[in-house]
Amino acid sequence: MTGWREASGSRQGGDSASAGTPLAVDRNPSMSTIRLGRVQPQAPGHRTVFCNDREANYLAKYKGNAVSTTKYNVATFLPKGLYEQFRRVANLYFLTISCLSFTPVSPVSPITNVIPLSLVLFVSLVKEAFEDWKRLQNDMTINNSSVEILQEQRWESLPWKKLQVGDVVRVRQDGFFPADLLLLASTNPDGVCYTETANLDGETNLKIRKALEKTWDYVTPEKASEFKGEIHCEQPNNSLYTFTGNLILQKQTLPLGPNHILLRGCSLRNTEYIVGTVIFTGHETKVMMNAMNVPSKRSTLERKLDKVIATLFGVLLSMCLIGAIGSAVFVSNKYHYLELWINGDSQQFNPNNRFVVFVLSIFTLITLYSPIIPISLYVSIEMIKFIQSTKFINNDLRMYHSETNTPALARTSNLNEELGQVEYIFSDKTGTLTRNLMEFFKCSISGETYGTGVTEIEIGAAKRNGVDVKEVQKPSHAVREKGFNFDDARLMHGAWRNEPNPEMCKEFFRCLAICHTVLPEGEESPEKLRYQAASPDEAALVTAAKNFGFFFYRRTPTMIYVRESHVEKMGKVQDAAYEILNILEFNSTRKRQSVVCRYGDGRLVLYCKGADTVIYERLASGSEELKKISREQLEQYGEAGLRTLCLAYRDLSPEIYESWNEKFIQAKSSLRDRERKLDEVAELIEKDLTLIGCTAIEDKLQEGVPSCIETLSRAGIKIWVLTGDKLETAINIAYACKLINNDMKQFVISSETDEIRDVENRVSNFLASVLFIGIIQTIQSQVKLFFQGDQVEIAQFIRETVKNDLHKYHEEAQSIIHGSSGQKLSLLIDGKCLMYALDPSLRSTLLSLSLSCSSVVCCRVSPLQKAQVTRLVRKGANKITLSIGDGANDVGMIQAAHVGVGISGLEGMQAVMASDFAIAQFRFLTDLLLVHGRWSYLRLCKVVSYFFYKNLTFTLTQFWYTFHTGYSGQRFYDDWFQSLYNVIFTALPVIIVGLLDKDVSASLSKKYPQLYKEGIDNAYFNWKVVGTLACFSVYQSIIVYNFAVASSTTGLTSAGRMLGLWDISTAAFTCLVITVNLRLLMMCNTVTRWHSISVGGSILAWFIFIFIYAVVFVNKGTYYTIYVLMGTAYFYLMIVLVPIVALLCDFLYQGVQRWFYPRDYQIVQEIHRHEPEAIGAGLLAVGNQLTPEEERRYAFALLPRERSKHTGFAFDSPGYESFFATQQGVTTPQKPWDVIRRASMRQKTKSPRASQS
Amino acid sequence: MKLSLKLEDQQQNQNPILFKAKIPIAVFGLPFLSAFSATHHHAAAASDKLSLSLRTHFPTGPSLKLSYNTPTTTANSGAGKMDTSPKPKSKSKKPKYSRFTQQELPAWKPILTPGWVIASFVAVAILFIPAGLLCLSASERVVEIVDRYDDECLPDSYSNKGDSFIQSKDTNKTCVRTMKVPRKMTAPVFIYYQLDNFYQNHRRYVKSRSDKQLRDRSYADETRDCKPEDNLDGDENEPIIPCGLVAWSLFNDTYKLSKGNKVLDINKKDIAWKSDTEIKFGSDVYPKNFQKGELIGGGELDETKPLSEQEDLIVWMRTAALPNFRKLYGKIYSDLEANETITIVIQNNYNTYEFGGEKRVVLSTMSWLGGKNDFFGIAFLTIGGICLFMAINFILLYVCKPRPLGDPSYLSWNRNPNGL
Repeated sequence: MTGWREASGSRQGGDSASAGTPLAVDRNPSMSTIRLGRVQPQAPGHRTVFCNDREANYLAKYKGNAVSTTKYNVATFLPKGLYEQFRRVANLYFLTISCLSFTPVSPVSPITNVIPLSLVLFVSLVKEAFEDWKRLQNDMTINNSSVEILQEQRWESLPWKKLQVGDVVRVRQDGFFPADLLLLASTNPDGVCYTETANLDGETNLKIRKALEKTWDYVTPEKASEFKGEIHCEQPNNSLYTFTGNLILQKQTLPLGPNHILLRGCSLRNTEYIVGTVIFTGHETKVMMNAMNVPSKRSTLERKLDKVIATLFGVLLSMCLIGAIGSAVFVSNKYHYLELWINGDSQQFNPNNRFVVFVLSIFTLITLYSPIIPISLYVSIEMIKFIQSTKFINNDLRMYHSETNTPALARTSNLNEELGQVEYIFSDKTGTLTRNLMEFFKCSISGETYGTGVTEIEIGAAKRNGVDVKEVQKPSHAVREKGFNFDDARLMHGAWRNEPNPEMCKEFFRCLAICHTVLPEGEESPEKLRYQAASPDEAALVTAAKNFGFFFYRRTPTMIYVRESHVEKMGKVQDAAYEILNILEFNSTRKRQSVVCRYGDGRLVLYCKGADTVIYERLASGSEELKKISREQLEQYGEAGLRTLCLAYRDLSPEIYESWNEKFIQAKSSLRDRERKLDEVAELIEKDLTLIGCTAIEDKLQEGVPSCIETLSRAGIKIWVLTGDKLETAINIAYACKLINNDMKQFVISSETDEIRDVENRVSNFLASVLFIGIIQTIQSQVKLFFQGDQVEIAQFIRETVKNDLHKYHEEAQSIIHGSSGQKLSLLIDGKCLMYALDPSLRSTLLSLSLSCSSVVCCRVSPLQKAQVTRLVRKGANKITLSIGDGANDVGMIQAAHVGVGISGLEGMQAVMASDFAIAQFRFLTDLLLVHGRWSYLRLCKVVSYFFYKNLTFTLTQFWYTFHTGYSGQRFYDDWFQSLYNVIFTALPVIIVGLLDKDVSASLSKKYPQLYKEGIDNAYFNWKVVGTLACFSVYQSIIVYNFAVASSTTGLTSAGRMLGLWDISTAAFTCLVITVNLRLLMMCNTVTRWHSISVGGSILAWFIFIFIYAVVFVNKGTYYTIYVLMGTAYFYLMIVLVPIVALLCDFLYQGVQRWFYPRDYQIVQEIHRHEPEAIGAGLLAVGNQLTPEEERRYAFALLPRERSKHTGFAFDSPGYESFFATQQGVTTPQKPWDVIRRASMRQKTKSPRASQS
Repeated sequence: MKLSLKLEDQQQNQNPILFKAKIPIAVFGLPFLSAFSATHHHAAAASDKLSLSLRTHFPTGPSLKLSYNTPTTTANSGAGKMDTSPKPKSKSKKPKYSRFTQQELPAWKPILTPGWVIASFVAVAILFIPAGLLCLSASERVVEIVDRYDDECLPDSYSNKGDSFIQSKDTNKTCVRTMKVPRKMTAPVFIYYQLDNFYQNHRRYVKSRSDKQLRDRSYADETRDCKPEDNLDGDENEPIIPCGLVAWSLFNDTYKLSKGNKVLDINKKDIAWKSDTEIKFGSDVYPKNFQKGELIGGGELDETKPLSEQEDLIVWMRTAALPNFRKLYGKIYSDLEANETITIVIQNNYNTYEFGGEKRVVLSTMSWLGGKNDFFGIAFLTIGGICLFMAINFILLYVCKPRPLGDPSYLSWNRNPNGL
């Protein structure tokens, strides 16, 4: 060990100074910097932490442990909040207009623009303040969670925020680390503790962290208070997997590496408690450094809105230009009575300087036409979205998960309508699609299938076929524990003895109990013992054996002890010891694992379990019938989404074994090519196997996932799975979720091909020959410097392969798409290839290939790659993307996508904290997207287009008037009419529509997922829609204006009096308010009481306003106008005639559209027009009434079709393979002797530790 | 019997339960479950809560629960509440059901079916065509005589020099026009003057007035907007009343009507709106310094009469919406028989020649709809006609090419099954 320690000191960049265990996380600093992209360069210098000495640390002024994620504080709120508001072009525009309206060029008084603007700002700021308040509360909860800090030789429970650098803390089992800690001691033997990093990288398997030997004793407070160390370490940075530092303890310098560090956000598992000292606190912790400033996302609709607003601005400018030119032309001395001659105070009407007239008129007219840009639009939208998210999404009972007591949570209210346009979903696998819970589900022993369960996938399939399958209620006596979800009376409680082949059953159980690399932990009783397994699959299998009566309870380096209940001995329990002679380890090439063991009676057996393909190749000839039956069963299991393994055994004669063992030992000790040699040797003995049976493990999908995915894909949403898992696992899940089926053309781009491996081997063999194999990984980086050429060679080779594959597949895909077969495509790619495929030169090919595929699975991808892929689709294809995940490894992709959805519930909160929406289950996506998203989209489209319509109409009437006033910019309406038009007379109904309008009910939205496509295609808010609206606006404004004006040319009462400007404008405004409000009703799909109240109320509000206004303001032109009008027949005829004429065109358009070009939702409305909406029954399933269309689909679905040839394959994630190693593409194979060594270590250290505590 | 004592983490739970017991008892031989629990609010004003409840404990069916909470807690736990859920979770985050939050508000879902379309068109047609006829007939009954006189009243020597004619003090501005009454005009006959191309709605013009000054004598110097007709010779102590361009350009042609030899009295009372004469124009505000400046705009005012009685001015001050407008001049309370010749003696004072304006004198009777105004009639008839036409078209379409309502084959994914 000391040897390499010296080496590490000389290493450049020297991170990762320790590899105390073979599980060491190793990395190459330079590479990680490149790969991670975002990793910040380290600050120069280093920090020195004086442990347990607050005074000494005080000088360094380290940040406290309190974190704050709020946007504002009391002081910055106003300036920053206003700045945020004025970042919106519209608000800035209105600010300018307001300023302009204070100048004499303005035809309107300042209130016209100032009142709406301040109202808008006020509402927005209140909303911001409210949201920030919620964030503050959240922070406070975190900051106030308590941690035990060592003070005066006692553990004091203090809030997290009091924690300071250098403090010694104690964290109990399942507790979260409050800061980045240096592990000093643990209650476990040899200073080991287990941490779960789910919060950081989403992995749920436990990582081992080990304290330095020197500090193991600081467990008790008395002892810990004596700890006076000094830590020299790097400055805070955001690289999760590196750490460099030294601990100076009693004048000894001990190097520290990432293995000694416990990161904030991780939690402690399987360890009673640990003691650690704080290195980084608060915002300087790695996890917080990683939390980028959450970029505020804006929805696509809003960005389109900006474009439309820009267009409107263009329209505004051209209107002003026309008016200004007219003004310059009109200005003439002859209109002397208008005082258009030289005068001192204003140049605006100086005929001798027409250019000035022109320029000033532009400003005048801009102020006059400013309402063309709807000022209250943004604030209305915000209000609508806010209510939508807080009242509807957060309160939806359909998205409430009662098991975890989690309702849905909309964390931002910006993106509701974006949910209605999602075309690509990027999903994490573990914890999102699956529960990350492997359960022994079924098995087949010598051709007999056992297990009564029905998988989620089968239920989904059955449901699609119209058969309602209730999951069989497990009998109460069924054993139910983690990893075991099996019930079949024929096998349980020793009943297997009565089965046709009890001997085979016994072999099956023994194989399960012996052939594995699991470590037992805890008390040796079936209830209390827990298995530490490399993969949950293995644990599930051993748990199964336990439940069948073969309880594996102890492991030593050479022995496995199994407590067997033998029924033939009348239920007697017998402890059997099996000598483990060899373990032939699992790896991804072999896809199998074998154990050679010797029974107590000297029988030599090789037990083997592995993928069906590899096992079948190695079976002894004969018993073809059994093989055939088993294969069919395997296929059935695969189809049901289960992960299968075949079990086989071979009796060995001592001679065969001895001769083989020699070769094995030789291979094991060889320095060159050891891996390959071991594999070759293994081949020699893993043959002539006898098939025992197979196991089926359910990688339990979350409830309703397959049907949810099916629904979503019918909605036209494409789902990509991005997972850190292996290719096989990912494929399994993809099959299980019905993302891939055998009808699809699959394109696989994998780095696990023989060619690539060959090239890699050439290099690593060379390395191996030069260096001692055990330290290969630790100094690989150094060595790589010498062998750059070979690395480059590998890289180039892979790049070429990927490039060729991509081009080949792309062409193939194109031909299939343009062909008539209609075959669907899927793409499977692994992280390493993805790295090359994401190269700028190949990116476009990758994009176009993947876009033509209906499902894409990326496996072995790093969090960064997840984000990159998301960004690729987002930017490259310009499609709306949604990322869903549950772990911290999904944070990048959640933030990169348009919409980030976090799964809240079991795992950490990182994903949720970064997300825009949090739901408890994947299946709630259906509700979130198809119901809330779609509605929000529809509603907001309506709201936005209505806003444009109403403001354009209003402004256009004003514009037409300009032509009749000598282009002087005389306003048609009173100031207050104009300023209240947006905020009172037309404000509420549109908000009501934005909240309550729905085309079809929630259940129908899910029943007809295809309706969602209109959102993807953005059918409700595109230029065509805007154009149509503009036409109607022009038409209606012409009607309103001209009718009002043209009909008033003569005396209008029997008294012969004439109406003035303000009378006519009041009449026109009345007509306008009625028209635009009624038009809103015409746009509604549903009219609730609130619609009528708000529309009626708005019109009424206008009348009330004018009745009061017309008597209060004596000095205005509008004085008494309404009362004058009320005395004329003209007024009543107008308010009947104008709205009807104005809306006739709309009505005709809608009628024709519905009649000849019905939209889908309209048809659905018609289909279900007689059905009353199920009130309160939304939680029940959709009725089983079939439409003819569905009947047709079901008929198709029931037709016999080719059976899936896919069989699942269990076994993945070997060992404690670190996330980073995966990321580097360095596979650190779990060596069998590691297991054994760990087992032996336990034995040794157990006793002294026990005595001490 | 179940007895539980829970000590729970304060951080996570709003209402940690200190003590909870459920004891099954029998009342009249029927099973009941009594429960009591004590909870502790650490946040909300440290109020400890004690609750007692008694609920039926039948194996099936809804249970009836009587509960009592200490009064400090909320009032929604009334006694005798029907409780169909077997066990309400104490700290459930389950959203409460409301029709609003679940978006299940009762609603009327109108579907624009062809029937509705046709019916609406027919209804509009039925409403509008008679209305149009009514309006047209009203307009038809109105007799209107319009006579343009700005050119006619210009002596030949001044043709094309109307400006100098009108500005000269020496010219004779009297002009005699005759017109024939086409149909019988029953009293009252309204006399209007009509100006064309006179921009009474120009921004510069409209704002050049002071309503305050007009209404109240104490605001006499409120002449801010009236420039340049604000103060006489720029002297702030000599405000012009009424100030501003509007008043300054007061129309000052006069008409004298006679039928044969009989002079017809023109009644100039009551030609302005009541609201103007009574409120907007003060009865104690007298004209002052009006038309005393260098430039004389239009008519002058009698300084002995308050503004509220100067109805010509009031009418003029109610600015028109369009550059072509009529204003009421006066009324004649005698019938004019058909074919009678009316003589109008016009004092042609008002200068419209400078800006190419036109002047007309109009005699008109009124109907309930006002003056001669075919607009409404034509509009109603046209729209009614269009609606009728549309209705017929749609009926034909409905017959020839019906679209069955709610036919799933119209769904886009059925029309184009491969487009998925």
